[in-house]
Amino acid sequence: MTSYRLDRGGAINRAQALTFTFDGRSYKGFQGDTLASALLANDQMLMGRSFKYHRPRGPVTAGSAEPNALMTIGSGPRAEPNARATMVELHQGLVASSQNRWPSLRYDIGAVNSLLSPFLGAGFYYKTFMWPAAFWEKIYEPLIRRAAGLGKLVLEADPDRYEKAWAHCDLLVVGAGPAGLMAALVAGRAGLRVILADESLSAGGSLLSENVSVGGMRAADFARTLAEELASLPNVTLMARTTVFGWYDDMVFGAVERVQKHVASPSPELPVERLWRIAAKRAILATGAEERPLVFGGNDRPGVMTATAARSYLNRYGVAIGGKVAIFTNGGSGYRTAADLTACGVEVTAVIDARPQSIDVAPAGIRVIRNAGVIGTKGRHRIEGLLLDRSGFEEVVGCDALAMSGGWSPIVHLMCQRGEKPVWSEEKQSFLAPDVGPAFTPVGSAAGLQTVSDCLRDGAARAMAMSAALGFAAHAAEIPDVEGEYDAAFAPVWYVPGAKDKAFVDFQNDVAVADLGIAQREGFRHIEHTKRYTTAGMATDQGKLGNVNTSGIVAAMRGVSPAEIGTTTFRPFYTPVSFGALAGVARGEHAAPSRISPLHGWAKKNGASFVEAGLWYRSAWFARDGEKTWRESVDREVATVRAHAGLCDVSTLGKIEIFGAGAAEFLDRVYCNGFLRLPVGKARYGLMLREDGIVFDDGTTSRLGDNHYVMTTTTAYAAEVMSHLELCAQTFWPELDVRFVSVSDQWAQMSLAGPKARLIMSRVVQDDLSDAAFPFLAARAVTLRGGLKARLFRISFSGELAYELAVPAGYGEAVADAIMEAGREDGVCAYGVEALNVLRIEKGFVTHNELDGRTTADDVGLGRMMAMQKPDFIGKRLSTRFGLTAADRLQMVGLKPVEPHKEIHAGAHLLKDQAKPSLANDQGYVSSACFSPTLGSFIALAMLKSGRERIGERIVVWDALRGAEVPVDVCSPVFVDPETVKLHL
Amino acid sequence: MASLITCPHCGTRPKEEFSIRGAAAPRRPSAGDRDEVWYAYVYVRDNPKGLTQEYWHHAAGCRRFLVVERDTLTHEVFGVTDAAALTRKEAAE
Amino acid sequence: MTLHLLHRHVLEDHLAGFETSPNPNHVSVVRRPVILSVLAHGDLEAFAGRLAAFSTMSARFCGPGEWLVVGSAAGADELTDRLGEVAGLSVCDQSDGKVVMAISGPSVRKILAKCVAVDLHQDVFAEGEGANMLCCHVACHLARTGADAFEIIVPRSFAGSVFEELMEMGREYALTASFAQS
Repeated sequence: MTSYRLDRGGAINRAQALTFTFDGRSYKGFQGDTLASALLANDQMLMGRSFKYHRPRGPVTAGSAEPNALMTIGSGPRAEPNARATMVELHQGLVASSQNRWPSLRYDIGAVNSLLSPFLGAGFYYKTFMWPAAFWEKIYEPLIRRAAGLGKLVLEADPDRYEKAWAHCDLLVVGAGPAGLMAALVAGRAGLRVILADESLSAGGSLLSENVSVGGMRAADFARTLAEELASLPNVTLMARTTVFGWYDDMVFGAVERVQKHVASPSPELPVERLWRIAAKRAILATGAEERPLVFGGNDRPGVMTATAARSYLNRYGVAIGGKVAIFTNGGSGYRTAADLTACGVEVTAVIDARPQSIDVAPAGIRVIRNAGVIGTKGRHRIEGLLLDRSGFEEVVGCDALAMSGGWSPIVHLMCQRGEKPVWSEEKQSFLAPDVGPAFTPVGSAAGLQTVSDCLRDGAARAMAMSAALGFAAHAAEIPDVEGEYDAAFAPVWYVPGAKDKAFVDFQNDVAVADLGIAQREGFRHIEHTKRYTTAGMATDQGKLGNVNTSGIVAAMRGVSPAEIGTTTFRPFYTPVSFGALAGVARGEHAAPSRISPLHGWAKKNGASFVEAGLWYRSAWFARDGEKTWRESVDREVATVRAHAGLCDVSTLGKIEIFGAGAAEFLDRVYCNGFLRLPVGKARYGLMLREDGIVFDDGTTSRLGDNHYVMTTTTAYAAEVMSHLELCAQTFWPELDVRFVSVSDQWAQMSLAGPKARLIMSRVVQDDLSDAAFPFLAARAVTLRGGLKARLFRISFSGELAYELAVPAGYGEAVADAIMEAGREDGVCAYGVEALNVLRIEKGFVTHNELDGRTTADDVGLGRMMAMQKPDFIGKRLSTRFGLTAADRLQMVGLKPVEPHKEIHAGAHLLKDQAKPSLANDQGYVSSACFSPTLGSFIALAMLKSGRERIGERIVVWDALRGAEVPVDVCSPVFVDPETVKLHL
Repeated sequence: MASLITCPHCGTRPKEEFSIRGAAAPRRPSAGDRDEVWYAYVYVRDNPKGLTQEYWHHAAGCRRFLVVERDTLTHEVFGVTDAAALTRKEAAE
Repeated sequence: MTLHLLHRHVLEDHLAGFETSPNPNHVSVVRRPVILSVLAHGDLEAFAGRLAAFSTMSARFCGPGEWLVVGSAAGADELTDRLGEVAGLSVCDQSDGKVVMAISGPSVRKILAKCVAVDLHQDVFAEGEGANMLCCHVACHLARTGADAFEIIVPRSFAGSVFEELMEMGREYALTASFAQS
């Protein structure tokens, strides 16, 4: 037995045994264990294989910086790859499996890569696989990806729920160690709204792992007492299992709460993870410090871990990492570890101190070897001994675990995520947090302090200052006495020379000291270049453990201070965040909100197929029995409208109510055509331009009163037009008295079109609808039979006699039903946007297919609408410039195939007859195309170079996508009823 | 992930409520102004590193155009003002 | 021919099948609210006090010189007429264009924290306050009507989407929903 569970001690609940499996084998642990501590208790030190060389690896840490002990947790669609066993809370029935090995973790064929390692050093991809280029994608990359890697992506849909939420506070404290707890307590007592977030399941941080007494209590008990008081304060929120992963603009922090990652079967009522955005007035960084690994030959052997990790497994989980533990240190942490292990009856074979001398004292009877360094380790799946060098003399020391301490690196990532870089401190031999202003400040060991009492004092003092800055009177907290703390000072040792094996600086990416040397020699000297060339600091752990050593080693190689080397850029996220948490509920059909028309139910019961148009669902066509294709339905609908009548849902058009004495003038300036003299009770088609002279949107605007209008926009541009009007009113002409409000949702609007439209509408509307009483473009309030107030507009998008009826949305379905009933004997049908499209193409009416952000009013045949006599309107000035008035611009024309049944598709290009397809010969493009049942032929609208003067010319529609060339004749874009007889019936 | 703008009418809001509508400084020329003036107004914009004034339309809030004065490098916001109020003030001066 | 037209609430389908005995956390949907958009002309700030004088309605601030007036007793026509008598105001009916969801209960703020980004602490967003804001990704109006009670006014076409997301966010607090007893 090497690593084992102690008979007593630790914060685990020994009464609650848990069973779990690792690689199919069953193990027992206790509630309160992490997966890593439980595996160690079962003497399972080997937990993974390294990324590139497939070297056997065990845990190096007991926390979130873990680079090695990555596993897949769970199975099936819930399987989560690359989980850190050091952070996974054990639960009953947990299933864990190792990664990046085949056929098994112990016997991994991929380990042959280790023999090839002389060829696989830094820059190996770039040098080896340069040629031939085509081989990269097809051969090299798949091979490398198979050989190197982490966990496998799960392709099944995630069955669990995720949520996103906002939180707001005066003070956010990140980390619930001694400094963070004390800061939260002082601020909480002063009445601030405090959020204290910690990644662990319980508050305490290092207090849970350190063998000290605080205020006469065990440190862990002291932490619990503080947490209990905090929990009792209504203004304090404790967020356990919550990692604050990012600091964003305006003091917003991103955090992920693992709500149900620690349970066997998640409740469907709760999310498994919740993504928080925490808006804080002030924040305190109390994330503590990371213990640096020492960089020596064979430092990746399973059983080699940081001294802090060894103490954490010992004191928090009651697990000895070995039966004979050696310690390699450059400071007090190693001696403290020796003392803790000895106190628990674990044999310590030697304390190897890199320093020539120190004041630190090892427990009685333990051999201390000063001024020495480990240069190699023995063992395969676990360390079995080490080789050390003391002034040229080599010596083998037996051990089955090695605790190492290379000093401390304050965890300052969050404060460096918005552009500031960490600052090197010669005094602390560490990178410290930059000064980012008074709103966000580090405390305790995150600020470079080392003892528990210093951390407690610092947390309290900073919280006092922050409370005062926010106008709260905070009282000084009594700082409890701490007994048994040690001096964690250290002398830096960046790497130990004379390594007999690879000395790893980045465990996860298999980057060794030699690789950093190669990068320097080959010119990748900037630390960001060194990172990219060697991959140090990449992948899931982002170099949390190795980055500072990387900078230190590069500095030592170059003979400069680490201040000159700096660090690479720290970016969110601090630890990996699942896509599920980032997406929240926005997935599948809930990826975006949907908009439902008030006539949706009517359309549904009439057999509509729906099409998504932006967020809207619009009725596309209404299939009847016996119709096999959508075309059959559409052809029938078009023919019915032309011969009888049809009812179409146009509720999705934007509708804007406009009020004010300046409304007429305002409309006159935003439309290119005149609106000053539009009479009350009349509608007018209007065209809006952009300021650059290109068409923006079209629609009708009706004058309902002297100072009261209602505007319609296209469905697609409803929001844009509203914003445009607001821009004009608020920033161009704030002196005009005009107000508007969207009423798009208030009205159900339906278009009844066809020769029988008046007959049918008269059965529903009380008012006189004769041509004299309600002529073309009439627009006013009417009363339905039965008394409902409505608005009626005689406007047409089909060329037929047509009315648009608007009723309050809640009545939409009932009114549409009534119209269908009133028109049943006259053959009325429901028609959808597909038929609507055919009807308008047959008439040469434009939509955003033609108004595509490139066309002018003149291009689409509406040039005469532009009222150039107006002093000003949006787009007037630039609409007259040369480029927009040139004779060879593309102009809208109609196209008819020589053979009527040859299909034309929108998007196809136009060529002169006999011309070879090429960009140089391009004559324009098809903007809209359909089959016209009225003409019995495919037809199209197209933008053709100098099109209007080419009516009658035979050209070719070239559809490269479908490999078709269709000869067509250029014609007028008005295919049906050019004399507009039907409109005025 | 997030940034916050304090709307003078609605209070502190996330950026998702706004649509950024470009530089606030250029003023729409009058119809009679020279081609160059119009060209500059429609097409020419600075891309400053540092202090800038932008229109932020509070589309999901009060629907007002706001002038946000901020640093493009640090996203420090120095002021948020209603655009119409600003235009009226300019006109009065 | 006289038409007998049935008025249909957009959440009719969504609410069918929900239990009738509300839990402590509950969404109550007003079947036929009276809601008007009121727009001020001239000095946009001048009218707020005068709207407060109407006892049968509550004026919800949307932006400078713009309110949503939610009537408690008077019908839309009557309210429109009375407001229309105030010089310098334009009024337009939105009763069919908006859906009112009243949400209340001990966990209401925890539920709404998952729906809106705005700080709803009582010191920041007091009873009687209201504003337009994104709620469940849709531009809505949210007002506080009590210590643990809020009203969300949602555009009708988005109401189904917002309602579903609101209920989803309320799952862990056993949120129920029904039409209000009128």
